[in-house]
Amino acid sequence: MKAAVFWGCRILTSQYAYELSVREVLPKFGIELVDLRESVCCGDPIKSVNDFAANYLGARVLALANLTGLDNLFVPCNRCHFTISEARRAIMENAKTGQKVKDLLKEEGLDYNPEIKIWHTIDLLHDYVGIGKIRKAVQRPLKGLKVATHVGCQIIRYSDLGRVDDAENPRKLDELIKALGAETVDYAGKLDCCGSALMHSHPDSALSLTGSKLKAVQNLGVDGLVVSCPDCQLMFDVKQKDAGTTVGAKLNVPVVYYTQLLGLALNIDEKKLGLNLNQSPAERLLIKIPA
Amino acid sequence: MTRIGAYVCHCGLNIAGVVDVEKVAEYAKGLPDVAIAKHYTYMCSEPGQRMIQNDIKAHELDRIVIATCSPRMHEETFRKAVAEAGLNPYLTEIVNLREHVSWSHTHEPAKATEKAKALVRMGVARARLLEPLERHKVSVEKSVLVVGGGIAGIQTSLDLANAGFKVYLVEKSPSIGGRMAQLDKTFPTLDCSACILTPKMVDVAKHPNITMLTNAEVTSVKGFVGNYDVSILKKPTYVDAKRCVGCELCTKACPVKAPDTFNQNLSEKRAISIYSTHAVPKVATINPNYCLRLKYNKGVCGKCQEACEAKAIDFEQQTETIQTKVGGIVLAVGSEVFNALEMAELGYGRFKNVISSIEFERISDASGPTGGKILSPKDGKPPKTIAFIQCVGSRDKRFHEYCCRVGCMVTLKQAILAREKTDESVRIYVCFVDLRAFGKGYDEFYRRARDMDVDFIAGLPSEIHSTPDGSLYFDVYDKGTNKLLEMHPDLVVLGTGLVPNNDLGNISTLFHALRSADGFLLEAHPKLRPLESAMGGVFLAGACQGPKDIPDTVAQASGAAAKAIDLLSSGEIELEPLKAAVDKDLCSGCRICESICPFVAIEMKPELINGVERLRAEVIEAMCQGCGLCSSACPTSAIKIQQYSDKQVRVQVQAALTEAKPRRAK
Amino acid sequence: MSLVDLMSMAKPNIESRDRILAKLRGRELVNCFQCIKCTSGCTALKLLELKPHEIIKLVNLGFVDELPSSDIIWTCVTCLKCVQRCPQKASPYHVIMALRNLAVEKEAKVPEGYLKAVSQILETGLAEAPQKVVTRKMETVDHECLKLPEINPPKESFQAVFMKIMEEK
Repeated sequence: MKAAVFWGCRILTSQYAYELSVREVLPKFGIELVDLRESVCCGDPIKSVNDFAANYLGARVLALANLTGLDNLFVPCNRCHFTISEARRAIMENAKTGQKVKDLLKEEGLDYNPEIKIWHTIDLLHDYVGIGKIRKAVQRPLKGLKVATHVGCQIIRYSDLGRVDDAENPRKLDELIKALGAETVDYAGKLDCCGSALMHSHPDSALSLTGSKLKAVQNLGVDGLVVSCPDCQLMFDVKQKDAGTTVGAKLNVPVVYYTQLLGLALNIDEKKLGLNLNQSPAERLLIKIPA
Repeated sequence: MTRIGAYVCHCGLNIAGVVDVEKVAEYAKGLPDVAIAKHYTYMCSEPGQRMIQNDIKAHELDRIVIATCSPRMHEETFRKAVAEAGLNPYLTEIVNLREHVSWSHTHEPAKATEKAKALVRMGVARARLLEPLERHKVSVEKSVLVVGGGIAGIQTSLDLANAGFKVYLVEKSPSIGGRMAQLDKTFPTLDCSACILTPKMVDVAKHPNITMLTNAEVTSVKGFVGNYDVSILKKPTYVDAKRCVGCELCTKACPVKAPDTFNQNLSEKRAISIYSTHAVPKVATINPNYCLRLKYNKGVCGKCQEACEAKAIDFEQQTETIQTKVGGIVLAVGSEVFNALEMAELGYGRFKNVISSIEFERISDASGPTGGKILSPKDGKPPKTIAFIQCVGSRDKRFHEYCCRVGCMVTLKQAILAREKTDESVRIYVCFVDLRAFGKGYDEFYRRARDMDVDFIAGLPSEIHSTPDGSLYFDVYDKGTNKLLEMHPDLVVLGTGLVPNNDLGNISTLFHALRSADGFLLEAHPKLRPLESAMGGVFLAGACQGPKDIPDTVAQASGAAAKAIDLLSSGEIELEPLKAAVDKDLCSGCRICESICPFVAIEMKPELINGVERLRAEVIEAMCQGCGLCSSACPTSAIKIQQYSDKQVRVQVQAALTEAKPRRAK
Repeated sequence: MSLVDLMSMAKPNIESRDRILAKLRGRELVNCFQCIKCTSGCTALKLLELKPHEIIKLVNLGFVDELPSSDIIWTCVTCLKCVQRCPQKASPYHVIMALRNLAVEKEAKVPEGYLKAVSQILETGLAEAPQKVVTRKMETVDHECLKLPEINPPKESFQAVFMKIMEEK
């Protein structure tokens, strides 16, 4: 499949490991990524400021994707995926909004195609590529590795919008990890939020949410936490030390992107997957993987 | 020369408050063929009716137009009055000035009056072409099929049987009793459910007028009101009911475990067993999906047959089909309990100590899996904290929008039972939204629960969690104290609501009983006709028409019986003549009407025409509901609804447009 | 005058309430019957005392004037649990977003981070500025040295259109 790719802001400005690992693993499954002509925000932070402007930005991403002429758009960030999905619904449902957005895009000679299929990492790999193909492609089974998953909030909620997995019992990320030969562990706080959205206004509370969840994961005795969103990674990985301070706990949890784990199972070099960039103690997970 | 009497009703202020009734009567007087036009405050009243009757005689009227409320209200009343005065009742035309004028255009009285005039003009135009019609009588069977053997079916059957009617009571499970047999106690009296139900069950089994068919289902229904041909399939139980004495030696001998559906799968029983403790009939049945001999091959096992001293086991028992004719049908198929697996966030199915309300009922019942002791399913220990959570699956746009009506009372009852059966140190909490205790003695029952130290928390939890060691906890915000509380229950009982039966799709098709938006069976009129379906001769009783408690079910069941008796007791019924009729000379036998009729009321009959046998449509008057689909579909206008011929409709349309201003051509 | 809050002497402002309703997809806000599920499960309740049911009720009754200038509307974590679980689809998250929009319109206090994002987008197209990352081995890297494909800023036309939208009342 040839898909247009929209990275959003976080991946392009600090979460480089996600882009690195995605670009390494997707071609192995016949997925060719085509970058959009320009890099621009999906509108997520603007939702709190001006809802119409946010919808315009989301629609603009669709319009940029339209320029590529491709039927598929890959959006690896949970929040971008949510924002663009809501934007699409707004312009399709509300004739006034749709027309206003169309006219504004026209000023730049742009137009969107609402039929474009929007993918996230989880459904692209689980539904499109398929567990079978992934299992077959594994060269370095992650046998003995036990991890917990944090699929995130905005990619499974709210169901009415059409999300990539079940909101109360999401299993796709777990299945994707099992396909690599590793085990996953369920836990009470699995659906709890990382708190990233509070960093703008209440950073202590944000870190408290992050720290509580990491504490719970650490108590599971797992080898690591797997995420699929750059904002979640920012909280659990980059801000792990601060989170630990906030909740008064010593946190030592390796936190990796699924695409990084997938890359390891495909025997791709650690550095190519950006595993040197993770701020959490990734070594503790890496040594658990059989050669 | 037609002589029409036109009457404009004030309907108190209902019509007169918006429409200028005097002007309308004045206008009516000016219409051709109107011999007399009057207006009066309440036409449906005694003096109003007498006025019409006197006028018919005094002014030799032969058509009556009454401009009043909806014909659904008083058309019958006026027809009777007209008939008493010696005029054919079908020469009466009702014009709706209330629902169609004063109630719809309350804020535009001038325009409303003009519309009223136009409607009267149309009514008069139609009245000129009305034809006298006769009601035909058809004989009916004085027997009733009751589908469903729960308390609704049982009550209806007894009422009908006592009134001298023959009853066929069909129940799909091996015993009658239904949901009520599964209950421990009933609210608000805390009567033992089995104690008040089993005498009725025995009465049903013994009643000479009732043929009780358990392990049976209705497979086809043909015919029309008063004359239904029904086929009932009696599935084999593999036990001869005449020989079985209910000793249960077979159960003791059986080596195979099978699910115990009566105990909501909280326990297991054997492949051969009696359905429940108070089963009627009290005979064993074999579950063919688990019995080794029935499932695999003839030589295997057979231990029950060896053990049975009454020689009642019959592995060769066949399905029996019973055909019979009945005059009426009462649907009493009950409802199901919401499957809380659909609300995954509450942990039902994942956590053993999260149970549904019907499962709690079985636990509380002395004849249930724990012998009536309140024990948490996970470890079999008595809970120290019990939490009830209301509105599971109800009042929820994600699942069922309606309120289940019984959930609050069921929880109050179960909370009281829990209090009575557990140590006084046990904390019992009810998490609720609105506590609905609406019936007789119900709010007093709510007070009783509060008196017994049941704690009420005004708020529902969002999700339930379990610690790694299996203990449950959840957060709930209480509106009363404005506190976020963390609860650690040992047992969580979900107030799962009542939902339409899975069978209802099938039932709906089989009996042509429509369903309402909420999925339950649709009554003919929600306020005035809650016991009948739209299909003539098919009545509704119990939870299949909408969730309800036992008092309401029993009341509705007796009411449905009364309706059936009302319909069938004289041995014949009169049919409304406003039905389809076929002009055979115009019929081409194309069968479009037959295929389009939703009530299966059209038959094709072979007729010899010019020596060639051709099919011609014929209306089964008793089945026809006068919906008019056939009339509008017929390409040759051969079939028409009496009193709604093309001419009769066209003349109304013309009258509507008569005084309209001509459009200016472009 | 139909109603007064005796604590604050505030009166319902139905006009503002209707403006919020107009921003929402549907009218389900008025269907809320205070089941409290949203608050019971609210991620921001324990730490920041956000009570979504209270916000919905205040808006429903028209007590909207104080909310945009309060801090509470900025405590929502946007986890969307309330949207997922509300039995009446009243969606407190969307109501809170609408209140935030109202706060911006009224020029009430808005957390700086959001306003920074606006100016950053105007400047570079992205809501964040590019950062350097220090690896666990104490090496400093950035987007360029990782040899990732170039980031193309939006065409100039974007700035003009976006500014126009943001300035529209």
